[in-house]
Amino acid sequence: MKRYQAIQLIMDEVTDEIVICNIGHPSQELYLIKDRPRNFYMLGSMGLASSIGLGIALSQPGKVVVIDGEGSVLMNMGTLATIGINQPKNLNLFIIDNESYGSTGFQPTFTSQGIDLEKIAASCQIRNSKLCREMDDCRRTIRASLEDNSGPSCVIIKTDKRMPDHLSPVPYDSIYIKKRFMESLSASIK
Amino acid sequence: MNVSERLYSKLKSSGLDFFVSVPCKFLDGIISILEKDKEVIYTPVTREEEGVGILAGAFLAGKRPALLMQNSGLGNSINAICSLLNYYEIPVVLVISHRGTSGEKIEAQLPMGKATIKLLEASGIPCREIKKSSEIQLVDELIDQGFSQNRTVALLFPQSFWEESGEGL
Repeated sequence: MKRYQAIQLIMDEVTDEIVICNIGHPSQELYLIKDRPRNFYMLGSMGLASSIGLGIALSQPGKVVVIDGEGSVLMNMGTLATIGINQPKNLNLFIIDNESYGSTGFQPTFTSQGIDLEKIAASCQIRNSKLCREMDDCRRTIRASLEDNSGPSCVIIKTDKRMPDHLSPVPYDSIYIKKRFMESLSASIK
Repeated sequence: MNVSERLYSKLKSSGLDFFVSVPCKFLDGIISILEKDKEVIYTPVTREEEGVGILAGAFLAGKRPALLMQNSGLGNSINAICSLLNYYEIPVVLVISHRGTSGEKIEAQLPMGKATIKLLEASGIPCREIKKSSEIQLVDELIDQGFSQNRTVALLFPQSFWEESGEGL
């Protein structure tokens, strides 16, 4: 499965959830798949997508979906522990794992050598942690994860290591992304 | 009230309602208060950079966030401050115990102590030093500036601030 397809599977299940998307190609792909005010596209600060998602999940009751990458999670692994300790029931992490730093030339990440993020997430007390590879299984796993409100969840989606077919930079500047996102949230928080 | 209680009370009355912390012995008093205060959201974090991400999320969802840390944590989070907080114009109040200042007994604190204000200046973060407890009321102006201009700001509390009251010693 391509990463593009994995993001597509997630967005097929998303209705009014808040979506935080990792820097680089994933944000560019999300923009093409389903641009919406409730998407927060990260343009810098690699590693912090899950942390931003946690801050939003603790601040308001709406469901938060984080589209992260395994290289980014490896960079900021401590935040899995902070998520586990806080147990936000409205936080759903999706870690797309292509076992490489795809946006910088496909240098291998440690998950290519057996580091197991599913077990790491589970031992950080994110009890609803799953890994999936095939499209049908991933669709079911993503859906079940979004329907389960018993605690934070983490789904690791294994994808191919290959250059995306469709790419174009997100055509918005940072301030526009923030303003549009915040307006969309404040409409539902109040 | 001791100096931690007075400072915390001031931070809270300025509207801050979401805190994260990485400990410093001087911040111990405020952290103990935060652990019991159910009127604000509070979590410890594993690293200051992670805290920057969490607080950015809190602001996006309508909160007024603050990061409590030692100045060593400024070094750990400088990219996140520049490419997340500054780039998206997200205001966070950095409450920094400034180690390596006059009176410091641990030599290893000196290099980062010297670099701290220059790092803040280079990152475009307005900052104010609060050198003694009688200056606590000065925090309001900088916090207001931060939220009215969507800018991250830093409050620096050097050794002299804490030593005056014997806090953390």
